[in-house]
Amino acid sequence: MLDAKTERLTIRRARSGDREAVAELIRAYQRPLESFIFRLCGKSELAEDIAQEAFVRVIKSLDRFDERFRFSTWLFTIGKRLLVNHHQKMKPSADSETVEFRADDHRRPEHVLEEVERSEKMGRMIEVALDALVSPQREIVLLFHQQGWPVERIAVELSMPEGTVKSHLFRARRRMLEAIELSGTPNPHEVFR
Amino acid sequence: MSDWHESSNDSGRGGPSVRAERLLVRVLLALRSEARRSTNLCHDHQRAEALASRIMAEFPRRVLPVGLAAMLVVVVCTSFPLVRDVLPDAAGGAQPTPVATAVEAGLRQQGSAMSDGIEALRAIVGPFAAPSTTPTHDHATPSFADEPVHEPSEAAAPFQKS
Repeated sequence: MLDAKTERLTIRRARSGDREAVAELIRAYQRPLESFIFRLCGKSELAEDIAQEAFVRVIKSLDRFDERFRFSTWLFTIGKRLLVNHHQKMKPSADSETVEFRADDHRRPEHVLEEVERSEKMGRMIEVALDALVSPQREIVLLFHQQGWPVERIAVELSMPEGTVKSHLFRARRRMLEAIELSGTPNPHEVFR
Repeated sequence: MSDWHESSNDSGRGGPSVRAERLLVRVLLALRSEARRSTNLCHDHQRAEALASRIMAEFPRRVLPVGLAAMLVVVVCTSFPLVRDVLPDAAGGAQPTPVATAVEAGLRQQGSAMSDGIEALRAIVGPFAAPSTTPTHDHATPSFADEPVHEPSEAAAPFQKS
């Protein structure tokens, strides 16, 4: 991710039609946005499509961007709205393709298999934990733990007091803990070796 | 039953087990690494480049036609009156008669017809008109100087006494 100052400068360059600046913005935020959307919808292909569409919309509207705010906040808001528009009722479902695995990987086959297996177990465990959360809690957990946003920023983004965000985080972690305990996955530490 | 449930019993607490807590921490760390880590940096880079190229290629195509069309409309609207005025002079007599000229010609024709009518009336009325030698005493223009001056007592009564 870019720091606030670099982000502002890159946006100014992108506004003036600098293609490299546009590519820099995409490189910086493509993966965070895709992983965020993926954990909201559970489908990696859909997450990629929505992330691309969000970039297209945001970069074409850069002239309207208010520099007082963070670019990533705006981008994530657009991405989330696109997802909500795509299917009004969010129901995450397991996808055969995990975030970490890609078909064009050139590593040795046995290593790939091991990693895929571990990555699938990890993915399942994360899904178990996230499935226990309702919509605002899931989003808050993803923004805080996955994206590393501070509580104040999440509060501004979701238009709620910081105390509410904190209590959502507390309750969400407790729910996730209960879900993990109830799931009964054997040998849990092997999953996150 | 999984082994961390047993460990929960061993811990002697009513809440979640230590193992489950550790697992949650690892889940959250794994979640965090999703946004950061990339196993295939080259692939991500290529995707970003491709998307940037696509956006930059689409941008002028979408904006330019609208801008050009708007400019064309403004140019046509502002220059149309000037072109209309210039065209008849440039084309000479080959162009059809403008509407303004036709109306003007019609008015002139009517005006000349009216003046002809007035001349004809004058010619008819002329012989019957009395030759006026002294224009001061004209019958057509009555003068109050010839009227008798009445006495004030009589003047009050409008009619003669019977």
